[in-house]
Amino acid sequence: MSTHNEQATARPVPSPRGVGQSVADPATEPPDTPFGALRSVLTGRARHLYGAAVLRVGYGLLYLVFLLREFPHRDEIWGPGSPWTPALTRQLFDQTGWVSVLTLSDSRLYFEAVYALAMLTAALFLLGWHTRVVSVVFAVLVASFHAKAIFVTDGGDNLILLMALYLSCTACGRRWSLDARRAKRRAAAKGHAAPVPPGAEAGRPGLRQQLTLCREELTTALHNCAMVVIAVQVCVLYGAAGLFKVQGGAWGNGTALHYVLNLDLFRPWPALSSLVDSHEVLLTVICYLTVLSQVAFPFVLFGRLKYPVLGLMLATHLSIAALMGLPLFSGAMIVADAVFLSDGAYRWLAGAARGRLRGRRRPPEGVDDARPGHDAPEAAHPAGTDHGEPVGAR
Amino acid sequence: MKAAGPVPEKTEGEAPAEPPRPVSEHPRPPRLLRGTVSLIVALLVVVASVHTVMVFFHVAPRNAVSQRYGEQIDAWVYPFFEQDWRLFAPNPASANVQISVKTRQEMPDGATRESDWFDLTALDTSAVRHHVFPSHTAQNTLRRAWSAYVDAHGAEDVPHSDRAVMLRDYLRNIAADRVAEHRPGPFDAVRLRVETVPIAAHGAQQVSPNAVETRDLPWWEVSQG
Repeated sequence: MSTHNEQATARPVPSPRGVGQSVADPATEPPDTPFGALRSVLTGRARHLYGAAVLRVGYGLLYLVFLLREFPHRDEIWGPGSPWTPALTRQLFDQTGWVSVLTLSDSRLYFEAVYALAMLTAALFLLGWHTRVVSVVFAVLVASFHAKAIFVTDGGDNLILLMALYLSCTACGRRWSLDARRAKRRAAAKGHAAPVPPGAEAGRPGLRQQLTLCREELTTALHNCAMVVIAVQVCVLYGAAGLFKVQGGAWGNGTALHYVLNLDLFRPWPALSSLVDSHEVLLTVICYLTVLSQVAFPFVLFGRLKYPVLGLMLATHLSIAALMGLPLFSGAMIVADAVFLSDGAYRWLAGAARGRLRGRRRPPEGVDDARPGHDAPEAAHPAGTDHGEPVGAR
Repeated sequence: MKAAGPVPEKTEGEAPAEPPRPVSEHPRPPRLLRGTVSLIVALLVVVASVHTVMVFFHVAPRNAVSQRYGEQIDAWVYPFFEQDWRLFAPNPASANVQISVKTRQEMPDGATRESDWFDLTALDTSAVRHHVFPSHTAQNTLRRAWSAYVDAHGAEDVPHSDRAVMLRDYLRNIAADRVAEHRPGPFDAVRLRVETVPIAAHGAQQVSPNAVETRDLPWWEVSQG
């Protein structure tokens, strides 16, 4: 993926490797063992930082919108006045091992305070403010709300919970965030003389600097592992959804969508649902496409075929959002799919968006990155810095 | 093994490129420290791999592995990573569930007064209608409470487990809260009627009234009026 830093912004279509970020970088240190190779891939550089940032913004925004949307129903869903009473919640927690900050007190005031905190946390998470700490708080709160209202949740809530847990292990605040802006300003203030690697000032680095280095290697490895887990999680999701569908007669004979379109609770626009329902041939085709794309999903990710399939998934989820009144679920799925776009693709999209904002005037390729304030930081790393890094080891 | 050089994530997103530093300037953490890092990285890789395998067998259709190692899989996955992606599969529901409630009030003279049926599902359906972002309270609360009740009770309405009792109380609370919100007056018991209305196959005009299945639930006392 970003092994081709110098080309990344110039190329509209990113490298087909997709999730294959774990493929060893040919330029990195020739490791002596397979584990050595894996270790340097994992600790060397945090990968897919734009993808992580998109997930952060996506889930932060979705959760914030969700909490605002359910604000009038907050007591019924999560509060002390819910039909799933605090006593029932505690009884279930004793059986399942769940925990929630919402059961620490049954006072109305406490609940309102936690609700406000959850909205604030979602907003800060989305903005990427002190992301490491905020992402952990976000995960704790999402889990708490999920656990308290476990019988009101659906697949969308479930996916947001999983992603919140995984994202707390990633460096999702390094791009497109307040943290990134702060880091950039700090660096600009220091000027060109600045970035001295910790420990390099003196000939013999102190223990503290060494510990810092190790910590950074570990957070990088944690981030990379978490990103792989997120990608695999999405594949497992589609794979399982597909495996279950191929077992069903209605998906096999192409009539499944007829029944889905006639569920009263998922028919916000009955006239529209009926209209779609009347096109039997179209429904059959979409039905088979759904099953095929879900089953095939994990296998298309390593080639260019992933773009049409991701586009198909996007279209599916947009239709589900509108036709079935499930925008939260669909949003959660769309954001999850976004993990499969490479950093190159994101930089290209960001560049295109910026170009659009500036009108027709388009800078020549590559120029964009050299401009101050442009957040395509990998461009500030000609291959030499990134890949020359391990030289020190030998 | 290598020592981390100029730590990339520190400088990424910032200032201009910096030439690679000469070898001698690279700090090289002592062997023990590097060993510890390697160990933790190995642990991370193992945890991540085990996690993805566990999650896969947790969500996959029943199979030899998930039957044989069910306990270990559950121990790993529950509670935080529980998930279910059956999403309208193997087959989407082919019926709409219509839940109604009636209330009963005992009079001072010992007689009882029953209300007529109040359609709880109609409330949900009308809350969903023409809404871009329907609330979970309309789409999920009653629907999932009923399916959880059925899972715990089967065809009988006598609870045989703690969980069944809890889910009965939950369903009763939902019904009581909602009817109290829409109909004034006290009551001391509620009773549900659940009608399962099949969705007609494509081409078929209407579902015959005989196809509708009705389940009458017993009276449940409620503590608050």
